[in-house]
Amino acid sequence: MGTEGQKYVWEGAIPLQIHLDESEITTLPPPPPALILGPRLGYLPLLVSLIKPYFSSTLPPGTDTVWFDYKGLPLKWYIPTGVLFDILCLEPERPWNLTVHFRTYPADLLSPCESEDTVKWNFINSLKEAAYIINGNCKNVMNMSQPDQLELWRSFMNGHMEGNLRISSKLKLGTVGEESATKKATAHHQQSSSETKPDRIPVRLYVRSIDKDVHDLEDAPPVDSWDKISYINRPVEIHMDDGKIFTLRDAIKTLLPEFFEDEPSIDEELSRIELQDGDKALETDLCDQDSEIVSTVRSRELTDTLDECTPSSCCSSSGKTEVKLVRIQGIEPKLDIPFTWVVKNLSNPEHFLHICVCVVVAQGQDKMR
Amino acid sequence: MAAESPSSARKVVVHLRATGDAPILKQAKFKIAGSDKFAKVIDFLRRQLHRDTLFVYVNSAFSPNPDELVSDLYSNFGFDGKLVVNYACSMAWG
Repeated sequence: MGTEGQKYVWEGAIPLQIHLDESEITTLPPPPPALILGPRLGYLPLLVSLIKPYFSSTLPPGTDTVWFDYKGLPLKWYIPTGVLFDILCLEPERPWNLTVHFRTYPADLLSPCESEDTVKWNFINSLKEAAYIINGNCKNVMNMSQPDQLELWRSFMNGHMEGNLRISSKLKLGTVGEESATKKATAHHQQSSSETKPDRIPVRLYVRSIDKDVHDLEDAPPVDSWDKISYINRPVEIHMDDGKIFTLRDAIKTLLPEFFEDEPSIDEELSRIELQDGDKALETDLCDQDSEIVSTVRSRELTDTLDECTPSSCCSSSGKTEVKLVRIQGIEPKLDIPFTWVVKNLSNPEHFLHICVCVVVAQGQDKMR
Repeated sequence: MAAESPSSARKVVVHLRATGDAPILKQAKFKIAGSDKFAKVIDFLRRQLHRDTLFVYVNSAFSPNPDELVSDLYSNFGFDGKLVVNYACSMAWG
């Protein structure tokens, strides 16, 4: 039922080496760290039952309120583990060294997470949010039967992709079948297909700003506050104008127009070309010319801006901010692959596509918002 | 296709609606900066109602994450120029 890409995503896991916070160690010798695999799609609190046996005998008296930190940064439990890893470890660290705390929950920094039920509640809410973005309402999720909801959650918890997709398909949230995408793409002579309402894709975007002076991503200082990462929820509308493929690059450009301000907008550029072209078309009567020229223009223009950034090309003297890294599910996809492929294969089970982006910010300029 | 990028700077009208047995506020409509997080709306309601446990929803449907920007919520789920936020003292929409 699932695609090959989806299978890889569901099997994806991060080797974790979990240390107990020093202040909570009451025995000698201190307990060794716990080594476990954290599923990419999962959430850290769901690992607590696996981790606790390693440390329970050494904990000071008190009630458990479990949280994790990485290099002093308290980790937001509602962000999927794989996304935390992708955005916080630009240079992947394996195993990933995390610290677990069973006491002194930083309630000022993290929203409370009492139990597995809190995580489930968060998951279902995200699913409703996604449904609302896709369909304009979330009736299908709200009307889900209790057994179905339970089965959806259980299959997610246990990493059973097939079971999860079976329930999930009942919710009718599959906006972009690859089929329809290719149909639209190939049928570029039929005007009617471009008239339909564009598909809306729920996206959660994490934008980390790196100072211009940092030439290598591995030299970037660790994130010491969540204020350094912008958390943006903007849907992407898939446009299929004149039958061209809507790429990941197009999607990033829609999501972060801030980083493309300096160039003429595509529309401006297009109308200029069309004007020039109009004369030619009259003379030669080549009706296809428009779209061909337009596509070369568009691809050239975008390669200039979002090309695989070598440090030199990125930190240009103009001092503007630039996108340096786009990471989804641990991979850095080529930016010209079709966005529909990305959505179909790399989305999380709550139907959000989580995209991690690293931008280089010129010195003196504050973060993007 | 350019998304309204500086929308976060704009003010958003939030319409607060009581659900279930939650007390009704004297003033139900507020303006809030789009660059604020949803957490600010939740905190405001907690302070107004003097309650620690509160369930806060958008469009009688779901509870957004406290970290989401009000401007994002408005552009995703707002209509008629406002964002409808429902609050309840017990869970209303699981």
